[in-house]
Amino acid sequence: MSRFAQLWRTTTVRLTAVFIALFVVFSILLLAFIAYQSSIQIQQQQTAQIDREVDLLKRIDEREGVRGIVFAVARLSSQPGPGIYYLGDNAGLQIAGNVSGFPANVLQNDGTFSFNYDRDPAYAGDSTKGFAVVRSQVVDNMRLIVGRDVVERRGFTVIVFQGFLLAVLGILAFSILAGVVTARRVLKRIDTINATSAKIISGNLSERVPLTRRNDEFDGLATNLNAMLDRIEALMVGLKEVTDNVAHDLKTPLTRLRNRAEAALRDGSGEAAQREALETTLSESDKLIRTFNALLMIARAEAGAPSGALADVDVSAVAADVAELYEPVAEEAGMTLETEIAPDVHLRGNRELIGQAVVNLIENALKYYEPAEGKTGRIGVTVRQEAGRVRIAVGDNGPGIPAEDRARVVERFVRLEKSRTEQGSGLGLSLVAAVAKLHHGQFRIEDNNPGVLAVIDLPATAP
Amino acid sequence: MKILLIEDDREAASYLIQALDEAGHVTHHASDGETGYAMASSMDYDVLIVDRMLPRRDGLSIVESLRAEGNKTPVLILSALGEVDDRVTGLRAGGDDYLVKPYAFTELLARIEVLARRSSPSEAATSYEVGDLSLDRLSRKVERSGESILLQPREFRLLEYLMKNAGKVVTRTMLLENVWDYHFDPQTNVIDVHMSRLRGKIDKGHANPLLHTIRGAGYMIRE
Repeated sequence: MSRFAQLWRTTTVRLTAVFIALFVVFSILLLAFIAYQSSIQIQQQQTAQIDREVDLLKRIDEREGVRGIVFAVARLSSQPGPGIYYLGDNAGLQIAGNVSGFPANVLQNDGTFSFNYDRDPAYAGDSTKGFAVVRSQVVDNMRLIVGRDVVERRGFTVIVFQGFLLAVLGILAFSILAGVVTARRVLKRIDTINATSAKIISGNLSERVPLTRRNDEFDGLATNLNAMLDRIEALMVGLKEVTDNVAHDLKTPLTRLRNRAEAALRDGSGEAAQREALETTLSESDKLIRTFNALLMIARAEAGAPSGALADVDVSAVAADVAELYEPVAEEAGMTLETEIAPDVHLRGNRELIGQAVVNLIENALKYYEPAEGKTGRIGVTVRQEAGRVRIAVGDNGPGIPAEDRARVVERFVRLEKSRTEQGSGLGLSLVAAVAKLHHGQFRIEDNNPGVLAVIDLPATAP
Repeated sequence: MKILLIEDDREAASYLIQALDEAGHVTHHASDGETGYAMASSMDYDVLIVDRMLPRRDGLSIVESLRAEGNKTPVLILSALGEVDDRVTGLRAGGDDYLVKPYAFTELLARIEVLARRSSPSEAATSYEVGDLSLDRLSRKVERSGESILLQPREFRLLEYLMKNAGKVVTRTMLLENVWDYHFDPQTNVIDVHMSRLRGKIDKGHANPLLHTIRGAGYMIRE
């Protein structure tokens, strides 16, 4: 029963039901019209026959007199069939004919009448009740009534009606069958999707809705669902990686923090030492907060910002601002910071995140700079727009990254072991990669011969 | 200063009240949105510190209602939500400043002191003077002891911001937000390098320095 209820709930079945109803109503109307037209046609034929017989009898009367017409009526009356004949004198006595007991008005007035009558048992078929259509008129001082028992005509109507009923039933049965078959097929496809969803809900995220080769709207739905699942799976994997990284990046310094506090408590060397320990604790917790913020920012950028958060960004201005902000810092570190920024490069994006990405790249270049004899450290910030791409690059002439590590360093959350132990959160490049991904672009490390050329390659008109 | 703190975390609130008291401010406290709104609209405060997520009524709606009533008391919004969008929503609701948790108390103190000053009429001043240093906002000229000092546009804005808030501590994040208009987290010494350049142009060769570094907090310009 629940299966039926389920079937009834499907759109296909409901639509089928509506169409069946419409079809049946239309068929009824059509068949009724045909039946009506046919019966009128038959009636007209019969009336014409009656008229012809009346004319014939009149002519016989003219030619052969009363004897002739009485004989003709008597002969016609004796023939089997639906004919009704009556000839009576003006006193109302029957002279000839096969039916008696007409209603009084038929015997008295001229005209066409229809009425029920009792069949002569001699001629009656399966029923003694008849229905007559007759023409009554006076011929040669006698009343002549010629007519037809139209039960046969009604018989025709019954046949039409029966055929019609059969047709409707057939249509009904066929439509229901077709509806059920279609609905079952649709249900089967939906069941597949539901089953897959259930598996996914119960935890198997790698499950996908199977596709058929029909390439119909269900396949379209399945394709979209699968794409959605891919996205969800990627997000879940991302989330897991974030949690793993939070565990690593926050637990380690937290442990350090705790150890310091514990040591300071144990250490009885006086207020000054304790004060110093407290200050270290404070700066450690500031670093923790910074790492935490970086992780959050990466996670949010990875998840993809709602499009409302994206606005027109003047990339040239952002890069120039950041370069200007860091130019004195570079100088103090014994490096030069040069810019080659094309004017008015715009894209749809998040200004703060793009700014932060450039900051991270410059800070990275500063961090890995190794002063050497006869070499000035150089950082170059370039912004270029070419062929629908915006290219933000930060290059240096430092030690560079070995070719085999370049791809790895750009991968999500992958850091060279060396940099993990370096100062700072070590999340800088991960954030840059996340920002590039948020803007539908890529982040890659190229060779600056020598040094690192970090390139953020974004589409100029991010969707 | 008379401050109203609307914050539901009792521990955070009592810490803040104590620290603000030590800094010489009188602080009233409300622990839910409705009470806070009633207090803010019935009494006169110099600054409101409003947590964004509060029981019974959220912080942003309090600020919106106060602004709709024409109440112009400066508001500092505190929030754990630190994305750019969150900040924009907070400022759009009528907040004057936005501070993300967790924060250093020095940061909060510096910000509310600058905020409270905002309501004073000096906001529209066309020139600032600190000792023998003067800055003209219209002609963009800076002079010290009658001698003209040439500043880069960014250095001018840096000095302008410091002088507007003369005698108040401004933190590095405040400078980054107000002078560079960025809310991210750079290496701490980025601002220091800029400040030391500015100091070189303003204080070099003068007996009494005007630009002071406040340890553990930020900078201040004063006589």
